Amino acid sequence: MADTQTADIRTLLGGGSTEDRLAISHFLVGAAFLLIGGGLQLLSLVSLRFGYLFPLSYGRVEPAANLTLMIGFAAISLVGGIYYVLPRLTGTHLAGTRLGGLGLLGMSGLTTLGVLAIFAGLGDGSQPLGLPWWLDVPMAAVLFAPALVTIRTIRQRTEERSFVTLWFVLGGVVWLPLLYVAHLVTHLPGASAVAVAFAETFFSAGFVTMFLVTVGSGLVYYTIVKESDVPLASRQLALVGFWSLGFAGAWWGAAQLLFGPGPGWVAGVAAALGLAWPIGAIANAANISMTLEGSWTGLGEKPGVLSGVLGLYLTVGVAVVAALAGFRSVGSVTSLTPFWEAVEYVSLTGVGTLLVSSVAFGGLPRMAGRQLETTQRARRFQRLTVGGSVGLLMSMGAAGILSGYSWVAGSNSAAYVDAGEGWAAGLGNTHDTLILIALVFGIVLFAGLGGYASIVLGTVARGKSIAQEMLVDKEVSSE
Amino acid sequence: MSEQLAAAAAALGLPEALVQRSAEARAAETGASADDILAQWAGGEAAPPPPAAEASPADTAEEETAPAGEVPEERDEPAEPEVVIEEPGPPAQTPKPAPVGPYKPPVLIGARDNPMALLAGVVGLFVIVVMVGLVGPSIPTEVPGARSSEIAFSEAALHGRVVYAEAGCASCHTQMVRPVVADVGLGPVTLTDTNQILGTRRFGPDLTHIGARMTGAQIEAVVSGLGDHPPHSLGTDEMSALVAYLSESTTSSDGDQ
Repeated sequence: MADTQTADIRTLLGGGSTEDRLAISHFLVGAAFLLIGGGLQLLSLVSLRFGYLFPLSYGRVEPAANLTLMIGFAAISLVGGIYYVLPRLTGTHLAGTRLGGLGLLGMSGLTTLGVLAIFAGLGDGSQPLGLPWWLDVPMAAVLFAPALVTIRTIRQRTEERSFVTLWFVLGGVVWLPLLYVAHLVTHLPGASAVAVAFAETFFSAGFVTMFLVTVGSGLVYYTIVKESDVPLASRQLALVGFWSLGFAGAWWGAAQLLFGPGPGWVAGVAAALGLAWPIGAIANAANISMTLEGSWTGLGEKPGVLSGVLGLYLTVGVAVVAALAGFRSVGSVTSLTPFWEAVEYVSLTGVGTLLVSSVAFGGLPRMAGRQLETTQRARRFQRLTVGGSVGLLMSMGAAGILSGYSWVAGSNSAAYVDAGEGWAAGLGNTHDTLILIALVFGIVLFAGLGGYASIVLGTVARGKSIAQEMLVDKEVSSE
Repeated sequence: MSEQLAAAAAALGLPEALVQRSAEARAAETGASADDILAQWAGGEAAPPPPAAEASPADTAEEETAPAGEVPEERDEPAEPEVVIEEPGPPAQTPKPAPVGPYKPPVLIGARDNPMALLAGVVGLFVIVVMVGLVGPSIPTEVPGARSSEIAFSEAALHGRVVYAEAGCASCHTQMVRPVVADVGLGPVTLTDTNQILGTRRFGPDLTHIGARMTGAQIEAVVSGLGDHPPHSLGTDEMSALVAYLSESTTSSDGDQ
């Protein structure tokens, strides 16, 4: 697989195999979108707290932030991770590097166009991305590109054995375009308001559990086993983790519409099946903990491993919080409040960035032949990301719970019968203060995201030369 | 040096830029000159020892290991070595001893299964999840006739509903009254056949029956930025359509019918 062409851009991307250059390109583009999306997310928090001062409404900024983070950062970066591990796990070329390149071009181009369209007022206001149909349909088509590349590569594999990462990668990359197609129901002229609402929450939740966490966890399995040089503790536990994440699917999304105009059985089913997310997350975190048993010392010297561990543990925290809110008793207070915004924010930026950074920190040095820049900066990124995520989750979650209680209290005292306000005036200041605190943690989180982007770019552009993995054909190597 | 570089690149079958960088890295590590390294590689010493970290087996490889000779997951281990032209591993790490003793397989070992069979399960599960999680809840369950949440909007109001959606109003406002204590006082409960935009967040007030609480002029003033509401700069037609939509969102048109 060695390539004899040495164009400048190829040298910058590591000069290795075509597959690795493609993967590095995905990581670089993903990091750039993370910076933009993180900034937009911060702006959305600003507009939520100081909307009357802000020229762009929350309804415009939030979908743009979601689009940039979900497709621009998470999808592109995780596909990069998939392209990194696939040749190494299947023992064959990546089938369709040209298609993979077109996929990258399509995802990044449509994301950019989408953000511009939303800001120009051409979005359709649907959650979570707000894209008009003429951008949503092409986006759905483009998302099939990584799935096709993955399936074709696995079909041509020469390895007879499958490491667990292959399940997660295959599942996640197939579920993503299917989820996207399902959410296109929001554009159908005859779709009922209830169907649209369920499609929106179905996609938001499904993207996190069935794609982001699924693929991210699979890549973490690869990175941790590879970097730590210890075998996986339990293949069976990984199996539990994988199918639980798939089964959890969109149920914590449906839980956001508790007591709404959907059928009554949804509440019970959503509460019960929503538990599959924490089950899957705990299975994966426990598996990795057992794998690393006896190897915890010096974890800080392996940024990829530490990011993976932190990402899986943070996933457990977010999953437990989301699953609890799926029960009717808790949901009566939390549904429709910033509580769910907190879960979605932290899932995308906190969990997503940590899981992506795990494979990026492990894979970039091997692909580019450049030393990670630097371990200290990686630790700072991890501290800021975890601290910002936990703080944001707690403060916005508290604001949501407070809102829910104030609605109950307001209705009991008839305080807002005439006004129809979301929360009673007396509690409004407390709510606003909590959102302000969330904004501070959002700034901390954004600093962490910037740290990740800086490390990725710095590693590829300025990292010290080290050993580089070169993918070669088996026939060549045996000659 | 360029001749040595070309010769080394030819001998290794790798790009010159990569060989150059690798030679410099090895030179920095070993203390030798890059020219000497290149000369060695050009002279046929092209295959440096495989990386110790990957060639050496895991000390604790007890589970998920396969007997020697079986096809391993990784492509850079002794059975099917990659061309690695550098000393392995980051310099900061303690170098591992060279492989000694019988070969043991690497740690990234899986089981003999068929990922394509998994694909069928993945698609099948998705179909089930969609049917139960998306299609199921979208099917109307109430018997029509007793009461309806469907509002007979005017043409202007229907245009206003599009404006409401495109302006992102549903990001902050619901049009969904639930049968829970928290929503008491907001008006009749929203039913399955509603044709308003439900929304999933209530950062601002619920607008299901806003037309019963505010006049058109008041609504227009709020949308334009009165109070804490962010100002929206809508065109005249859009503003009047939006006001029509919200004004017609009243209990008078969706009460008992």
